[in-house]
Amino acid sequence: MLRVENISVRCGVATTLQDVSFSLGSGRALAVVGESGAGKSTLIGAILGLVPCASGQISWHGAPVCQCHPALVMQEPRAAFNPRLSLRRSVMEPVVAQKMQPDLNRLDQLCQGLELDTGLLDRHPSEVSIGQAQRVGILRALIAAPPLVLFDEPLSALDAVTQKHTARLIAQMQMQEGFAALIVTHDLGYAAAFADDIAVLRAGQVAEYGAAHAFVAAPQTAYGRKLRDAAFALGALEHVA
Amino acid sequence: MRIFAELVLRAAVVLTGVALATFALLWHAPGDPALAIAEARHGTVVSKEVLDLIRAEAGFDTGFWTAFWAWLSPLLIGDFGQSSVTGRHVWPDLVTAMSYTFPLALISLAIGLVVSVPLALVATRKPGSWMDRGAVALASIGVAIPAFWLGLLLILLFAVHLGWLPAMGAQTKAHAVLPALTLALGIAASLTRILRSGILEARTQTFLPAFYRRGVAAGDVARDHIAPHAAIPVVTVLGLELAFLLEGLVVVEVIFARPGLGSFLVNAIYARDFPKVQAVVIIAAVIFVTVNLLIDVIYRSLDPRMDRRDA
Amino acid sequence: MTITAYSLSVQRAGRTILHPTTVDIRPGERVGLVGASGSGKSTLGHALIDALRAAGTGVAHVPQSPDEALDPLRSMVFHWRETEQALGLAADDARRKDLFDALHIGTGDLRNRPWGWSRGMQQRFVIAMALIGSPDLLVMDEPTSALDPVVAADTMDLLDTYLKTRKTALLLITHDLGLAARRVSRLLVMDAGRIVEDARTARILSTPETAAAKALCAHRNWLELPC
Repeated sequence: MLRVENISVRCGVATTLQDVSFSLGSGRALAVVGESGAGKSTLIGAILGLVPCASGQISWHGAPVCQCHPALVMQEPRAAFNPRLSLRRSVMEPVVAQKMQPDLNRLDQLCQGLELDTGLLDRHPSEVSIGQAQRVGILRALIAAPPLVLFDEPLSALDAVTQKHTARLIAQMQMQEGFAALIVTHDLGYAAAFADDIAVLRAGQVAEYGAAHAFVAAPQTAYGRKLRDAAFALGALEHVA
Repeated sequence: MRIFAELVLRAAVVLTGVALATFALLWHAPGDPALAIAEARHGTVVSKEVLDLIRAEAGFDTGFWTAFWAWLSPLLIGDFGQSSVTGRHVWPDLVTAMSYTFPLALISLAIGLVVSVPLALVATRKPGSWMDRGAVALASIGVAIPAFWLGLLLILLFAVHLGWLPAMGAQTKAHAVLPALTLALGIAASLTRILRSGILEARTQTFLPAFYRRGVAAGDVARDHIAPHAAIPVVTVLGLELAFLLEGLVVVEVIFARPGLGSFLVNAIYARDFPKVQAVVIIAAVIFVTVNLLIDVIYRSLDPRMDRRDA
Repeated sequence: MTITAYSLSVQRAGRTILHPTTVDIRPGERVGLVGASGSGKSTLGHALIDALRAAGTGVAHVPQSPDEALDPLRSMVFHWRETEQALGLAADDARRKDLFDALHIGTGDLRNRPWGWSRGMQQRFVIAMALIGSPDLLVMDEPTSALDPVVAADTMDLLDTYLKTRKTALLLITHDLGLAARRVSRLLVMDAGRIVEDARTARILSTPETAAAKALCAHRNWLELPC
């Protein structure tokens, strides 16, 4: 269980996160939505321990988060890989870093789950499509069987059809692997369809936090309603009759 | 305003550091400075008493920090002191030296600009063409050739073989031609390279296609949206360029036997004339810091995003 | 007058990335150009702009992000004047005020450079610039993907309201059928460098005929994905 308790992060004099709290259990998915500058990336940095918290606590089952070796899936699939290495080397990096025994069966199994041809891994990042690169990114995140995976806008570089395909694969992998997923996204449609809970971040604070279907049906705050209506207006959500 | 104060403070720190480093280097240079001064003054071997006198006079016997302060404190009110060899005031001689050096530096810089701008424009008209490759090759050679070698080469050709131009001294304007060319070639070469890459990079900016699509004429786009972006790296590098220029001046003045800051400095070093050496170094540092301050100001007016990043 | 461009095609490095395509758009019509990434939508958009401009049709383009439309070293007023001059128009404060009011950017300081404005305002400024010459066609390339949803929705709504009373047609290029379905009355579906389906939005949504259109329709809605 990931617990984020009353964390605040300051950057110079500005407060980028203020009194943020939520929790996320194994096998569950939490979507963090909000506009750019709301503090979504800072939150990921804070959970990974890359950004120091001025106050509050973040823990995984009572221990510091870094001990559970959380994984991160980044927004720009191609930029997330060293362009000079084959994808296979990049994928195996977490295994090497954690001094684990490489398990080729697991690699094959994950590839199958992510609909990736293992031969693809011998290519370099520039030689695969963006959609494929993102699935390899997910593969790398999952290879060392982390209990917690952070997704930073995992779909925003992909086109609409690929987005939905990739979202479904992420959900299937979660069913199979049972990790806790924290998904930062600006797409309320994705959040509504695939997350159990939604936290709306606004100007560094949690404006709304609750079950995803309840939020989409009836947001509790004016800002939440604005977000939902914008998603309707852009076709990301359909009106629920 | 805060930024201006910060810049001035930075300049003060640099100048203090330069003064201290120069003094320390001279202080710890191998050989007995008093002996060198005595030799420069009298030209013969002198007795121990004379050496002691020189030491006391120059303050060598008081210890490093006392001597440093004794030199620095008059400097703060603009007094460069007297030559430890001739006893003459340093400042008037320094002014004379600068009156030879500055015009030479400015002429070389001007020639460098006049050559490099058209060359870079021609080169970037068609990147990869033979003209571009020619310009890049010329620039690479120009950067690689050391000033002392080029200077001798020019003397050989224009003074010895052709007899068109004088090689030594500074009596007429014609005397300035060869030294100016020697210095200008290096400047032109490095400016051409920077301008060329600056222009090529400015051309790849992602917003440019939108301007063409909006119907803005290609010439206007080049003037208003490519040139300012290409100018930024050039302005940044001009400060460094100045350092090379100062260095080149010393060499060129010695080779062409021209009076000026360079020969002034070299002679002073041979004679261990501390006040003179320090005066030159301080003047050079002041010029360097002032020019870089100016460049900073220009840079900020060219690209005001700098200020926002600072804030 | 219907806007028509005949036989647009593009080859690059010996490969045909746009097969000969004819596009016609009626005055004031809202058309969506949809397809997966790599299907050739942006290529067609650019070819269309070039062809129409060469034929003397007024056409303006709004790129995906304001970063691709504005010079960070130049002020907003510089961009505005420059665009007016490129169109051969005299400076007209009334016209500027009209557009600024319509797109809600009247509060922006024109002496600022682009980064002095919020991204949403920058994007609306770019749209306003595109509308200066009352073009016959406005081409927008993924206009919402670089913006926050709330800002993007506002921007599209303001543009819709403004265009309602004009004869300017809109071509919306997007990979997102969900977005296009809400904004346009006619859809052009692209696949592998060809327009494979051209019909009214409602018809394509209810009975897509080609594989590309079927895939787009099936993945239109997050909450009703096929199993």
